Amino acid sequence: MSETTAKRHMGLKTSRAITNTTIHIVLIVISIIWLIPFVCIVLQSFRVENTGQVGYVIPKVWGTANYSNLFQTDFPRWYTNTFIAALVTAVLQTVIVLCMSYTLSRFRFKMRQPLMRFMLILGMFPGMLSMIILYRVLKDLGLTQENATPGLILVYIASSGMGYYVSKGFFDTIPMSLDEAARIDGATRAQILYKIILPLSKPIVIYTILTAFMGPWGDFVFARYIAFGASAGKNVAVGLYDWLSRDQISNNYTMFCSGGVLVALPVTILFMFLQKYYVEGVTGGAVKG
Amino acid sequence: MKKFVSILLAAIMALSLCLTATAEGGTYDVKIWVAENAKELTEKQIADFNANNEFGFTFNATVEAVSEADAATQMITDVEAGGDIFCFAQDQFARLVQARALDALGVKASETVAANNDASTVAAATSGDTLYAYPLTSDNGYFMYYDKSVIPDEDVDSLEKLIADCEAAQKYFAFEQQTSAWYLASFFFATGCKSDWTTDDDGNFISVNDTFDSPAGLIAVKGMKKLVDSPFHLSAGGADQFNQNAAVLVSGTWDFEAVKSILGDNMGVTDLPSFEVDGTEYHLGSFSGCKLMGVKPQVDEMKGAAIHKLAQYLTGEKCQMERFEALSWGPSNLADQASEAVQANPGLAALIAQAPYSVPQGQIHGSWWDIAKVIGEDVKAATDEAGLQQALDNYYEKIASLFKLDNNALLFVGAWNGWNNADDTDTYYLKDGTLTLDVPESDYMGGRIVMPGDWGTDKGFAQVTVGAELIKDLGADNPDNNIVFAEPGNYTITWDGAAITIVKN
Amino acid sequence: MKQLSDLEFLKLSKGQKFGYKLGRFFTGIPRAILNFFLKIWGFLKKCGVSIGRECADIVSTFIHGDWKTKTSFFIMGFGNLARGQILRGLLFLLFEIVFIGFMVISGGYWLSMLPTLGKVGPSKEYNELLDVYVTKYNDNSFQILLYGVLTIFFIIAFIYTWRVNVKQNRIAEKILATGKKLKSGKEDLHSIVDDQFHKTLLALPMTGIIMFTVLPILFMILVAFTNYDGTHNGYTNSLFTWVGLDNFNTMLSWSGGSGGAQSYAATFGEVLIWTLIWAFFATFTNYFLGMFVAMAINKKGIRFKKGWRTILVLTIAIPQFISLLYVSKMFAKNGIINGFLMDMGWITQAIDFFGDPSKPWLARITVILINIWIGIPYLMLITTGILMNIPADLYESAKIDGASGWQQYRKITLPYMLFVTGPYLLTSFTGNMNNFNVIYLLTGGAPTNAAASSASGNVGYTDLLITWLFKITTGAESKYYLASVIGILVFIVVALISLVVYNLLPSIKNEEDFR
Repeated sequence: MSETTAKRHMGLKTSRAITNTTIHIVLIVISIIWLIPFVCIVLQSFRVENTGQVGYVIPKVWGTANYSNLFQTDFPRWYTNTFIAALVTAVLQTVIVLCMSYTLSRFRFKMRQPLMRFMLILGMFPGMLSMIILYRVLKDLGLTQENATPGLILVYIASSGMGYYVSKGFFDTIPMSLDEAARIDGATRAQILYKIILPLSKPIVIYTILTAFMGPWGDFVFARYIAFGASAGKNVAVGLYDWLSRDQISNNYTMFCSGGVLVALPVTILFMFLQKYYVEGVTGGAVKG
Repeated sequence: MKKFVSILLAAIMALSLCLTATAEGGTYDVKIWVAENAKELTEKQIADFNANNEFGFTFNATVEAVSEADAATQMITDVEAGGDIFCFAQDQFARLVQARALDALGVKASETVAANNDASTVAAATSGDTLYAYPLTSDNGYFMYYDKSVIPDEDVDSLEKLIADCEAAQKYFAFEQQTSAWYLASFFFATGCKSDWTTDDDGNFISVNDTFDSPAGLIAVKGMKKLVDSPFHLSAGGADQFNQNAAVLVSGTWDFEAVKSILGDNMGVTDLPSFEVDGTEYHLGSFSGCKLMGVKPQVDEMKGAAIHKLAQYLTGEKCQMERFEALSWGPSNLADQASEAVQANPGLAALIAQAPYSVPQGQIHGSWWDIAKVIGEDVKAATDEAGLQQALDNYYEKIASLFKLDNNALLFVGAWNGWNNADDTDTYYLKDGTLTLDVPESDYMGGRIVMPGDWGTDKGFAQVTVGAELIKDLGADNPDNNIVFAEPGNYTITWDGAAITIVKN
Repeated sequence: MKQLSDLEFLKLSKGQKFGYKLGRFFTGIPRAILNFFLKIWGFLKKCGVSIGRECADIVSTFIHGDWKTKTSFFIMGFGNLARGQILRGLLFLLFEIVFIGFMVISGGYWLSMLPTLGKVGPSKEYNELLDVYVTKYNDNSFQILLYGVLTIFFIIAFIYTWRVNVKQNRIAEKILATGKKLKSGKEDLHSIVDDQFHKTLLALPMTGIIMFTVLPILFMILVAFTNYDGTHNGYTNSLFTWVGLDNFNTMLSWSGGSGGAQSYAATFGEVLIWTLIWAFFATFTNYFLGMFVAMAINKKGIRFKKGWRTILVLTIAIPQFISLLYVSKMFAKNGIINGFLMDMGWITQAIDFFGDPSKPWLARITVILINIWIGIPYLMLITTGILMNIPADLYESAKIDGASGWQQYRKITLPYMLFVTGPYLLTSFTGNMNNFNVIYLLTGGAPTNAAASSASGNVGYTDLLITWLFKITTGAESKYYLASVIGILVFIVVALISLVVYNLLPSIKNEEDFR
């Protein structure tokens, strides 16, 4: 190695070190910006000297009263409602999405293209409009107010077939030759799905379960409409959101924060553990699109 | 004869129903919507009613916390699913009547309620001549809270000094000028502007007298401009603002306990300040309103009767007093108002101090709140006096077209099939004073001409100068001054401000 | 614009090439639209032809069929039963019985009321003895419309099933004539997990989509032609009825209309423009910044890769109504952002991010910036995976050629990314157009646009079409019909954009290319 190349090497090394340090600094700044709101929410949830909004961040008196007070309200009920909805939705929605996307990816039948185009067009209508009619349908079925949770589950899973896009993209990346080989060996279509495709599709299954599970936690517009004032039918988002109304905010703001922390907890933990699959699923699907 | 028998039968049936009800009572499921903080108290009050009412009714009550603002919106969305009994602020009243979400009180019940409650609250629950709701409180007005450690007591009478104090201390002045027409009206009432509306029995608005767009209105927005231009003005409400660096808050009794717990001994409560424009002082006005309790229309007459009895009890003397003691809600019941405890309450005392400058909040068109709210935004955005005037003009244009009314135009109210048949009444608007209309053949081919904003003064038969031969003279039978056409046809009516001309086309 | 040959095109300078492409794009739009209508016309023509053919087929089946087939025209499944296909036959028969039962019991009523949407509204009577009013509810326009549409769905399904039933008879006759055997019930059952497996898989999802997506959308389209609003709710106050195209006239006329404010058309235009601007910036700021963050984290020599990712991913994991509501409070005039800036002495008076109508762009830019906070993590996750898929040898050879980091990005990373994520960009653009949560939770549309606000609801400078629509349905007058009209217009805009972009994207053209 001549002296000059060594020097250049050194130069490259320092310049790379400088870039990396800069990137590290940028990432630290970004992380701080990203974390501030969450840290603030957590801090507020431990503030006990005042239950309303305040102009400072660090609590003057720390305590867990906001958490224990949650159990004097309907919060446990809301939490259970949401948890059940999330669980059931996660299972059923996954089944439906997988059925849909597997079919559209693996089968070539006459109505396939028109069907996909049709659903693409359906997706262009703003969903907000359906709210009124869905409310009426659920009301006729007796699934509003106190019984809002099964009603919500029904709506979530019924329209979930529309979200086949990402997982279809994923299935498309699994070579068709696998199916063909199995067909030659005499496997039925159903057997191919269970025995060959599903074991290969762990990331997308987990991705679908995860997104389906997360959905119900954040729904406050439609869920509020369906619950229609009945506390027993609210989900956690609606219940917490109503605590921020003008007449309740000064009593319930810190409780809103502690409730928010409890809502975020399961989803965040789940997300952290399954992040790898989420990335694989979403990229596998989105790449193909 | 047949008709008579059926009426008789119906009467006997109703009587027997009534008797069984009074003898045995009945058990009814009711859903009640109240504000969150009143939930427990209401549950207790219903238990009291169940235990000792003279009718023998028992209620299986589900009391839900639904905020007063939400209750009206939800009721209008779906009356069927709404609460049997629900509470709301009076500004929602006309909207609810129009949407038929309120069941009118019976004749006897109306008399009792009207006699026991303060007149302005009864007026707030009345549309046309029909009482549609039970007055619940009479404290829905606003006044000023301030932080004594920031604002010296001698400054509380002047808006300018308050703003200066806030700016000097880098503290906020919270007064909703861009987000609420209810608070924003304060400046207009200060200079004597008014927005008076009239409704008929079905909750429809039939006239308005609105003077916001006037020289007095311009003075009002000049005062408002001083406030909204201050960097330390905050268009937000709620006791919480004192936690977030506010020194002054305009709000009502509902924030009293919360403000007290935040400011403690530093809490100051007083009437609103005055502002000064061109050397004249104007004391800020306010709305004084109330909260009402409504019953939704009932399909079952027995249940309806029972629920009305319950609502009457819940808004009666005893329950209002309990609510005052537990929640500091100012009663509308006359006997409660006279009690010593109510008279001595400091929050209510501030309301009383503000009372001379307050305007009873009658029926106001539901859209007015949205239309008027925008004045604050326009004023904030305005850069000069022309801009301020423009804010008022924009406002007036919307009010006028909302109602298709002009103060100098006339309305022709036709009732082709007989007066008081509301469904067939057509209201025509004499734009530019001229109107062409088809008069079909009917028993009563007429109507009357009225001045909007001045519903009582009719212009009519007596003012017809040209074309008098085309109309019938009903003489003494025509107290309303109606114009009744002699024969059907197409007519053009013109009003020049003093006389009416009628031409047959 | 004249189309150039490849050679001519290559001769052009860089600028000319760009101009040419742009020109072709715009001259292509009318052609694309024309093609679109031609396609629709072709589709209709095809439908007409095939309906004619079907009818002819039905008639000839009846004429040439045996008595079993003929009876099947009236008693569905009879032919199947007579020929030993018990399972199929029973299913057909059951469907017919259910259909006739439904039509007799309620379907006929709904259909007959559909043209008027009900005749008798609610009435009220005073009961003097009990001193109470009794309300009687009668027709229900909403239900009539809903169940009327459902009945029509059902009739179409019946006709289709009937047609299948007739066809099966013909096929069965043919098969029997050649001496083969018909499929047994057992074979039928087997086929639903094999040959017909796609139908089995699709049955449940499609039923759900038809009932809870197609039906509501169809219903809401119909509402645009009625006067359904808060005071005509169809049951408890006044009935609503058909009004033809009146609502479209109100919405699309330029002469003032919305309660003295500017016309709806002008307001719609204003909101639409902002919606498009928002969608553009929300999509592309997130896209590029997300890509850069992903690249930064993936760079060799960066530590705690998983840690950075986890921190960013928090915004996905925590429901938006919690995080965004909190962020909106942070940006309030007396919120902690202003408090911090003032404490640092950088500003002397609070910035009114969302409340100052004289500075609409302040609010708009702030919203776009906050949206970055929400959007970057998704994009980071997506791009992380895609970046890993870029063949490493591309970079190696680029490095050997002495390409700088920026050049590598421009020549390799970006084209690859754009190619692969083209469809994603389109869906995310249309998704942002309808991004209700961010606007509703952050600003609620504030600051109010005074000129555009009217009796039927206030419009704010940050309102998107979707939040405006929401305000109209929940506002003082609850004008559902107007919201429906806006919904239809939103659909048209989104569809047009998608159509144009779709025809331009390289990666969608051929689905099978990727195998």
